[in-house]
Amino acid sequence: MEKRKLTRRDFLNLSAGVAAGSLLAACGAQPTPEKIVETVIVEKEGEKVVETVVVEKEVEKVVTATPGAEAPAAETVTITFTGWGGTEEDEGVKSAVKVFEEENPNIKVTWIQIPENYDDKVLAMTAAGTPPDTAFVNNGQFRTYARDGLLLDITDLLKGDPELGRVDYFIEPQEEARCTYQGRWYGIGSCWVAPHIYYNADIFEQEGIEPPSNDPEKAWDWSEFLEVAKQLTIDVNGNHPGDSGFDEDNIERWAIQWPTWSIPLHAVIASNGGYWINPDTGLVDIDKPEATEALQAVADLMLVHKVSPLNTAFSALGMSNTQMLENGKLAMAVDGSWALAWITKINAKLGTAALPKLKQPATDMQAHIHSAYAATKYPDQAWKWVRFLGTEFYQLVFLKMGLWLPSQTDLMTPEGMQKWYTERQGPGDGVHPAGYDQIVTQYVPKYGHVLYMPPGYAKADAVITPALDAIWIGEQTAEEAMTAAAPEANAILEAEQQKG
Amino acid sequence: MDNTASWAKKPSFAGKFSVISAIRWFQTLQGRRTVIGYIFIGPFILGVLFWVLIPALTAVWLVFQDWNLISPASYIGLKNITRLATDKLFWQSLKVTTIFTVASVPLGLLFSFILALLINTKVRGLAIFRTIYYLPSIMPAVANAVLWAWIFNTDFGLLNALLRSIGLPKVGWLQQPEWALPALIAMSLWGVGAAMIIFLAGLQGIPETFYEAAKIDGAGRWAQLRHITVPLMSPVIFFNLIIGVINSFQVFTAGYLITNGGPQNATLFYVLYLYRVGFRYLEMGYAATLSWILFFVIMILTFIIFKTLGRSVYYQEDV
Repeated sequence: MEKRKLTRRDFLNLSAGVAAGSLLAACGAQPTPEKIVETVIVEKEGEKVVETVVVEKEVEKVVTATPGAEAPAAETVTITFTGWGGTEEDEGVKSAVKVFEEENPNIKVTWIQIPENYDDKVLAMTAAGTPPDTAFVNNGQFRTYARDGLLLDITDLLKGDPELGRVDYFIEPQEEARCTYQGRWYGIGSCWVAPHIYYNADIFEQEGIEPPSNDPEKAWDWSEFLEVAKQLTIDVNGNHPGDSGFDEDNIERWAIQWPTWSIPLHAVIASNGGYWINPDTGLVDIDKPEATEALQAVADLMLVHKVSPLNTAFSALGMSNTQMLENGKLAMAVDGSWALAWITKINAKLGTAALPKLKQPATDMQAHIHSAYAATKYPDQAWKWVRFLGTEFYQLVFLKMGLWLPSQTDLMTPEGMQKWYTERQGPGDGVHPAGYDQIVTQYVPKYGHVLYMPPGYAKADAVITPALDAIWIGEQTAEEAMTAAAPEANAILEAEQQKG
Repeated sequence: MDNTASWAKKPSFAGKFSVISAIRWFQTLQGRRTVIGYIFIGPFILGVLFWVLIPALTAVWLVFQDWNLISPASYIGLKNITRLATDKLFWQSLKVTTIFTVASVPLGLLFSFILALLINTKVRGLAIFRTIYYLPSIMPAVANAVLWAWIFNTDFGLLNALLRSIGLPKVGWLQQPEWALPALIAMSLWGVGAAMIIFLAGLQGIPETFYEAAKIDGAGRWAQLRHITVPLMSPVIFFNLIIGVINSFQVFTAGYLITNGGPQNATLFYVLYLYRVGFRYLEMGYAATLSWILFFVIMILTFIIFKTLGRSVYYQEDV
């Protein structure tokens, strides 16, 4: 083979030619097929598995004539959908897109998964003039976005929908409370999640203690809870808190971990009849006695009773509560219902229960919301997609994993639950521990409180979080810290209300 | 797309003239060199233009605006600037960052200099040691943060396990406001490998003859270090100091990932606060103001360091 050396001139000419060629090609803009990651549901060993495949697809807007039909040619449009979440959400959304596109051949959905710094990226997209058509909206930001006109008002579409518009379609009044701003709907939830107790049943059995119940009517009151917690906590010498010689620096097993972020704290405040955010005023009520007593009760678990490890949001980076439950370092953990998706995999007998109560059984009800953006060019298609996410297929995907609790009343009936509820007999089998149906049908819908986050809450949180920090290390009592922080936080919230 | 058409309609002579002369110029060596030179630095120029200059100028404009990223910006005059005076978190974040810089930069310099001296000796397996000490600097910041969060964990962390083994009580490294910042300062020393490599390069540039001469004069190890190594290394030390101060004022990851600015704002670094103002509180105008303040703080500090310490730097006149 003849080897020829390229001269520099040849090289430059050649490069120029290539550049010009590619420019020309670009000018001729034709809808180019794009590679898209898609999911298909395949049957594998008798089980349906979601798989991702890469397919070539035309994503440019193409006007397709419907052959044989007299109807005018329908335009195929592509809408975008942004969301956070891990592998589970990613797979679930992809499978939903697949089903939706089959049902709606003229709408394509492009899923953009943004696992980190979600709000920032979506805001940057919005600021750049290219907001998504539809998106997950964090419930903490929801009212801020609605106030600022970012979200599409879907009130009439929702009310007029024969299925979703039904009075008893969603769990109410919670659904309306979370999806509306000044009486108008700006999104739909697809699920609920709520904190409750997870416990290692083997430890209770071994200690001969009756475990807590999933039945909210039988929830422990706080003194019973403390009694049990002291029995479950042991140091390396086998002493319990309160025993002489109890070595609090060398604890072998803690009774409970109660995370100190808004959701698990809101649950205990609600149980004492208090509010984090007063739904009527939109201001914080965390300096009221009902709230401070509840916060103090959680702090005392760590500081006074020594039944809980010192706990702050970041300690989660150490050992997870799942590992601690599994290896017996922890008897009970308070965590969101979503954690069932992984806690259920532990190699121990697992139980769940309603949270202990101060005055009344309570838990926090929360979830992200699916919204269409006001700037979308395709409001009808965007609504269809958001609506689809509020229907059964999409919810079932996550209900089966244990990640979600239903937001539709139909999925809570005995027949509805047959579609997704799987009882866990042992490690690696099923998802829902024995008796979990009471959490689903009794505890959450009847005793769940929605935390109403007003516009601009993130700014007020800059005052509240440092104040809470002082409580968890015992530097200030809950009353002292919150009495100082609440007026400052409310001044910020009032200023935000003026902006509306 | 059809630019050529309108262009060709211009007086034909001028068009032809400029094209022909351009081609002729390109055919000269200097012409070709100039064009090729610009092509090569083109990406850099575009990068500076799009990612530095335009954003910086936009930030100047934003200083006088109220912009929440969603609604259009509105002019608010000097409000963003006057607000600084009463913003407690601004002062807190400035204080935290200053303490961090004052502690971590000199410690980092000392630490990396000692490491460089150690590594500059002729011991067996030197390459392995160099790699080990440099490795943390190339680890992703997030991986470092997670690693250290585990080390500092109150109940299961390595550090408290060590304390316990020598009979000391456990410390809530990241939970106690008085310990959180020192913990992050200690963590920052983990990344001294980069400065160490620069020191090492400097050390290897010192001619062996200086030491030989000093030995003949009877200088011991310490005297050699004091009278030869440190003076000859002063430009490198100075360089690392400046870079260290600049980097340290922009510290973000540790405060963001490990402590989230807490507890009680003890680790609210300046850039972390700036980021929150922009993306959490949706006040881009104020965030832009904060970013310009940071620029001026760093500029003034660099200037002061140049004016004070710059004089004691020894530059070799000739070799």
